[in-house]
Amino acid sequence: MAAAKKSFIMEHLRKAHMIELLAKGRRLDGRELLDYRPIEIKCNIIQKANGSAQVNLGNTQVIAGVKIEVGAPFPDTPDKGLLVVNAEILPLASPYAEPGPPDEEAIELSRVVDRGVRESGMIDLSKLVLIPGQKVRAVFVDVSVLNVDGNLIDATSYAVVSALMTTKMPVLEVSEGGGIVEKAEYIPLPFSTIPVSVTFARIGDSLIVDPDSEEESVMDARITLTTVEGGHLCAGQKGLAGGLTYEQIMFAAETAKIKGQEIREVIKKAVASVG
Amino acid sequence: MGKLINNGIRLDGRRVDELRPYKLEVGVLKNADGSAYIELGKNKIIVAVYGPKEVHPKHIALPDRCVIRCRYHMSPFSTDVRKTPAPSRREIEISKVIREALEPTILVEEYPRTAIDIFLEVLQSDGGSRCAGITAAALALADAGISMCDLVVACAAGKVDGTMVLDLSDIEDKEGEADMPVAVMPNLGIITLLQLDGILTHEEFKQGIDLALEGCRRLHEAQRKALMDRYFKTAPNQEVE
Amino acid sequence: MPEVKRKYVIPGELITEGNYRIIANVIKRGNKFYSTRIGLAEYGQEGVKVIPLTGPYVPKVDDLVIGKIVDYSAFAWEVDINSCFMAYLPARNVYGKNFTPGQESLVKRFNIGDLIAAVVTAFDRTRDPILSVAGPGLGKISKGEVVKISPTKVPRLIGKKGSMIRTIESGTGCKLMIGQNGIVVLSGKPEGIIKAVKAIRLVEEEAHLADLTQKVQAMLGIKEEGGKEGDG
Repeated sequence: MAAAKKSFIMEHLRKAHMIELLAKGRRLDGRELLDYRPIEIKCNIIQKANGSAQVNLGNTQVIAGVKIEVGAPFPDTPDKGLLVVNAEILPLASPYAEPGPPDEEAIELSRVVDRGVRESGMIDLSKLVLIPGQKVRAVFVDVSVLNVDGNLIDATSYAVVSALMTTKMPVLEVSEGGGIVEKAEYIPLPFSTIPVSVTFARIGDSLIVDPDSEEESVMDARITLTTVEGGHLCAGQKGLAGGLTYEQIMFAAETAKIKGQEIREVIKKAVASVG
Repeated sequence: MGKLINNGIRLDGRRVDELRPYKLEVGVLKNADGSAYIELGKNKIIVAVYGPKEVHPKHIALPDRCVIRCRYHMSPFSTDVRKTPAPSRREIEISKVIREALEPTILVEEYPRTAIDIFLEVLQSDGGSRCAGITAAALALADAGISMCDLVVACAAGKVDGTMVLDLSDIEDKEGEADMPVAVMPNLGIITLLQLDGILTHEEFKQGIDLALEGCRRLHEAQRKALMDRYFKTAPNQEVE
Repeated sequence: MPEVKRKYVIPGELITEGNYRIIANVIKRGNKFYSTRIGLAEYGQEGVKVIPLTGPYVPKVDDLVIGKIVDYSAFAWEVDINSCFMAYLPARNVYGKNFTPGQESLVKRFNIGDLIAAVVTAFDRTRDPILSVAGPGLGKISKGEVVKISPTKVPRLIGKKGSMIRTIESGTGCKLMIGQNGIVVLSGKPEGIIKAVKAIRLVEEEAHLADLTQKVQAMLGIKEEGGKEGDG
């Protein structure tokens, strides 16, 4: 119904109300500054994928699906399998999304999530080699964003991680002639730690986690920090034209560790529930 | 006799005139003006409608009616072998026939100078995804409150192991002799989509259409129920006062 | 009282047959009448119509709408009125006929993101709606809570001769400004606003049911005043 415009414009009087509330440590939807919206994770929803998960973060809805294929390694990493994370903000997800190839926002989304998974060492890519330098397993994680209501980075990140954790891949054998024989047996994709991203928005002097669309439309700066089990940081991305103070960044790092651990438990529970 | 049908029972246990299990839901996406979700066999398809809304770019607007745009797209993980995200020629053709199957029902002249966008996303594909998509898209249009002279419902029939069957699964579509998707405006009885893929005698062709229309009739019941559940759930009964 | 029959319908569904005058959202084939929308069909002496439960806002001249300024040029503001059409508020409708483009900076009056209450002064099939803010209570809305409902349910929220508005206002102490385009602005004390939003959501969810005024009264803890206005 709303006429197509490039981006969402928040009503001034709602924005004024938001700023007033933030000063008191509250948000428009009743959350406190460091509260996430309800996180709902459903695994194994796409039977044709090797692994899959839908994440609903408030009204943000994303689906991640994992496909495992056999491919050639990159020439500079002949002893490593491939991992590709690709997210698409589908035109059905928002009145502001357009059909067509991913724009810079969607590409940043893919890359930030990819970095979190890759740098955490969650997937040991060296275990995915079939014939060094020639044939390796390629892990494609594709994400379809179905409904946009802010914080796509975290929703996508949790969906990707949950999908990888539920991934089953066929047992492959290398025959004498160098051919690949697929067995009818399936094994889990080997993974170790669970990377969890925590995204913050700065609005004025307030730092909040998990911004929704309205909060994103007025935020000055954004920062995503990803931690591994135990709390070490493994990836980060600051976004938007505004800056952050030293104290704000240190506070975010500390909070990312605490929140990350809470969310890691939610992911583990969702994955465990499908066996 | 054949490998796909044995004693009148198909590989997935269905009789020749049976639909796969289905589920229809209306109003599943928050941002869209109208939305619906369908499962039919392994198909899982979500549809969003945006509009009527201003047209961008403006020059494609029509002075006396709205423009209908349609995009059928498959998620990369929806198929047996990963599909690249860029639209294929198949997806572009299907988008066109879906649009043309739905357009006859939309009272386009009520919304001059505007556009209606219909986005279908196949999250998991099985045989007959275009038909399932059309059935869900009609619900999404109704959910958006767009004036329509009827719903549209679609179902395929085809020839498998020499027998005419309803609602082909993936393997029946690939290994059978013919596949024929049909869409109809159920109250008007007007056919708005017909494709045929394979050889049929005139007799079989007629039998196929009759079968498909019977499948559509059953799915139309399901469409009605999905809309009633969404809009009149709190209603004590259907006839009021 | 002429008898009116009612029925829940979906697009394409047969409402009735016979000889009726078409009022809205109905098409005729032969002597049969079919719905074009999801909603409540009513047929009787006055004719046959469907009261839709979902759908876009199509502007009408003289409608009060609440819009959001989304852009401006040297001559006019562009206003999102939650419709299939973008509305325009010409600068001369604000500054008067002597307005000279370039002399006034339009943003000083209304900036992007401002909400305005306005009236549709012109609209037809060939051109976009034109707004005016001349009149009491129109112009920039500087405070309040914004709530969005389906534009098709606005008549229910207003009620017969404003009965539902009065019920909600008296039960919550809030003031309601209701745009025909489904945008509602509430002003009052925070606890009153919370109650009023709940009442609006109830009207929205149960717009197809009878006895809505009584339900809202019960929710807000108001005693019925002589049971005067049935609202079925």
